[in-house]
Amino acid sequence: MKIFKFLLLLAALGVGGGATVMYSGIVNVAADEPHSDLVFWLLEQTRENSIKKAAQSIEVPDLSDPELLLTGGADYEYMCSSCHLKPDQIESDMSLGLYPVPPNLAVSGESHKGNEQGDEIESARKHFWVIKHGIKASGMPAWGKTHDDHRIWAMVAFIKRLPTLTPEQYQVLTAIE
Amino acid sequence: MKNFRKVAFIVIPAITLSISATAHDPKLHVKKAEKADCSKMDHSKMDMKDPVAIAMMKKCMKQAEKSKGKMDHSKMDHSKMDHSKMKKDEHKTKKKDDQNEHNH
Ligand code: HEC
Repeated sequence: MKIFKFLLLLAALGVGGGATVMYSGIVNVAADEPHSDLVFWLLEQTRENSIKKAAQSIEVPDLSDPELLLTGGADYEYMCSSCHLKPDQIESDMSLGLYPVPPNLAVSGESHKGNEQGDEIESARKHFWVIKHGIKASGMPAWGKTHDDHRIWAMVAFIKRLPTLTPEQYQVLTAIE
Repeated sequence: MKNFRKVAFIVIPAITLSISATAHDPKLHVKKAEKADCSKMDHSKMDMKDPVAIAMMKKCMKQAEKSKGKMDHSKMDHSKMDHSKMKKDEHKTKKKDDQNEHNH
């Protein structure tokens, strides 16, 4: 019985503490003020595990058709490059102003600190899932509401090659005509 | 976590309002509907089995097709063009995949 009371007290304290933090306004939601290391770690782990689980059984189609690079390239330039940058561009208003920071998709995956990539298949699955569903409370929109799976896979195919592209190749692939 | 909602309230309007302003370099604001710049393509350096190279060829051929008769020769560097790789009778065949057969 004692332990039960103790747990009840703990729960009450937890709820009370949470409510105090919530209503006091002490949490700073400004995007130009980074999370503390602990909060950052918690959010990062939550995100990575969530994406990994949700994407694990997505079937990856053949992404080698050159046509995908053209569809995906044009879409990337007009919908994504403002946040995720392009070859030889290192910053934009969005890449500097958003928090969490949009990863620079024009450089290889290993350099997105905190974003586990996994092998090629896993990386394609995760990219597809993230593009389709977006990420809550970050700047990353859910493009699946307005784009069918085929167009999303085309962007996945394009993103896969993006870190290898020169600015000239990028320009040709992404131009409208 | 109510924080998520608070953050969303700030982030969503911020993004909507600023989506058109990509960066302060005004050059980036005039990027609308740019044409592919095919003049810089160096065919000798391209691996025609690479999807990127094939896609670039497709894009540039389609562009050349569209602007037949109104090519801007001043922007072209003929010395870099490899005529052996160009097909003259492209417009007869509507099937896209026919363009894939560049063999070295
Ligand atoms: C308004 C800015 C914005 C736009 C536009 C945007 N994104 Fe994102 N994206 C983000 C942010 C911010 C993140 C990181 C979210 C996080 O870390 O929680 C992200 C994450 C991602 C990731 C996960 C990266 C990784 O390595 O895990 C992918 C893939 C991605 N975006 C693709 C796209 C594509 C494709 C488009 C265009 C269709 C796009 N994004 C448009 C802001 C944006």
